[in-house]
Amino acid sequence: MEFILDGLVKALQLLYHGDPETYSAIWATVRVSSLSLTFSLLVGVPIGYCLGYFDFPGKIGIRTIVDTLLALPTVFIGLLVYAFISNKGPLGELGLLFTLEGIAIGQTILALPIVIALTATSVESLERGLQLTLASLGASPLQIFLTSIWEARLGLLVAAITATGRVLTEVGISMVVGGNIKWHTRTITTAIALETNKGQFATGIALGLVLLFMAFVVNLSLSTMRRRL
Amino acid sequence: MDSILRLQNVRHQYKGRTVLDIPEFKVPHGSIIGLAGPNGSGKSTMLRILSCLEACSSGAVFFEDKAILPFDERARHLLTYLPQEPYLLKRSVFENISFGLKMRGQKKSTRSFVSKALELVGLPPQFADRQWYELSGGESQRVALASRLVLKPSCLMLDEPTASVDMESAQMIRRAILLAREEWGTTLVITSHHQSWLNDICDQIVYLYNGRLLDHSYKNVLLGPWDEVSRDLVSMPIADGQLIVASTPPTNETNAIIPANAIRMTSAELDTSQQKLSCLVTGIYANKKSSDLQISLTCGDQQLMMEMGESDFLKEDIRPNKQVTVFYQPTDIIWIN
Repeated sequence: MEFILDGLVKALQLLYHGDPETYSAIWATVRVSSLSLTFSLLVGVPIGYCLGYFDFPGKIGIRTIVDTLLALPTVFIGLLVYAFISNKGPLGELGLLFTLEGIAIGQTILALPIVIALTATSVESLERGLQLTLASLGASPLQIFLTSIWEARLGLLVAAITATGRVLTEVGISMVVGGNIKWHTRTITTAIALETNKGQFATGIALGLVLLFMAFVVNLSLSTMRRRL
Repeated sequence: MDSILRLQNVRHQYKGRTVLDIPEFKVPHGSIIGLAGPNGSGKSTMLRILSCLEACSSGAVFFEDKAILPFDERARHLLTYLPQEPYLLKRSVFENISFGLKMRGQKKSTRSFVSKALELVGLPPQFADRQWYELSGGESQRVALASRLVLKPSCLMLDEPTASVDMESAQMIRRAILLAREEWGTTLVITSHHQSWLNDICDQIVYLYNGRLLDHSYKNVLLGPWDEVSRDLVSMPIADGQLIVASTPPTNETNAIIPANAIRMTSAELDTSQQKLSCLVTGIYANKKSSDLQISLTCGDQQLMMEMGESDFLKEDIRPNKQVTVFYQPTDIIWIN
């Protein structure tokens, strides 16, 4: 158990002394998760809104598929993205393999079902009177969409928090698509996996604590935002 | 142009069932029209179609003689509708009331418009800073009405505005409605189950039953089933053991109406074809369009409304809680489905 305490001390040392390798992994994690969260929210919120708001044939089927995708294994997503962006894949020419952008594509696929499912649930739980009220006050279809999203803001925040947690802590996509290249695509989670393989448990724990601290900062900011909304 | 709103050959269906069938309906400029009828008669659907919030299955809605469809920009900005259970946005009262102004791109003097609207519904200007969750049912209803009045609409549709409010709120809503018409010439169409409230505020009341418009006189709805009495007569028992007798309906499950003006109160010798009912007088209402009075009666579990001239009223010495006998002809009962 001693290595847990050692890890805590080492985590503080790494952060305090500005260890370049640790900060490189933190920076890669921040960049890649910001990219994937932005895309998953931009794409997922409108899709989730439509899924929760409108009634159309096949809606239940689509909802079941989205809910099933919540359980997608990260290594499987990594494998699929790898197949598409590797040299032999249909998107091989884009040169995305072993890049942060490549990892972001995989993480977007990971976060998308979470954002869609939780947005849809949140929009479904809005009172049916909302649309009628907005339309009766003269709102256009776009204004109804934007206001409904704002009314469902707490649910959307929960979707963002859940997706952040999933994206920050995944390791399969980053490892398979990013290749864990030092100074380049090494994220905190792939660094932890490497350090553990090397038997450097204290460094692994230190990086884990850094990741936990990042998750804490993100959640604290979102919770503060939630109180102000 | 004699009407601000007009329905022309409007039919509306839900899952293959016709819920509204109106060949023509006109709302005159600046009038207050009441829509009455039992639950499920199509009042709210008609109001939503008139408000251009729902497209009818066939037919057309005309606003100032131009056909309109849902989300038509002109109609969106000039017509407004207050649902029976108003929804308040999860924001402050100020933001709720100014929402419609924002949708119209109006940003100047919002605070004073909101204060004026609050005043119209009898709430102080400080109320604007309250949050939606701090309001009672009656206050929510008044804030929802204020958020419509602030728009100074050409036409305002109110669905059961007094259904779940106290007497004070109902009075405030009445006052606000009348002020809106006086100040901006707003035309109003209102549904309500409060017959006396409607009588008091409306220039005209129209009756709906099963999605069809009846004429403007009050109709008492008699819900079957009916039991056969003889080859030509059927009867419907009411809770106190009396029977309402009618001529044979198409089926025993058929519903019927008896017009208010077909019920008479007279101490004259009984005509053999006439039927009588012993009832309790429960209310007396003035008729805005004539000197006739409307008398509400209770016979067992059946509520009836009848009309009476002023002189007969005085002669019969009608007053609330008085037990009276009323008369009707079985042939005056009209089968409606």
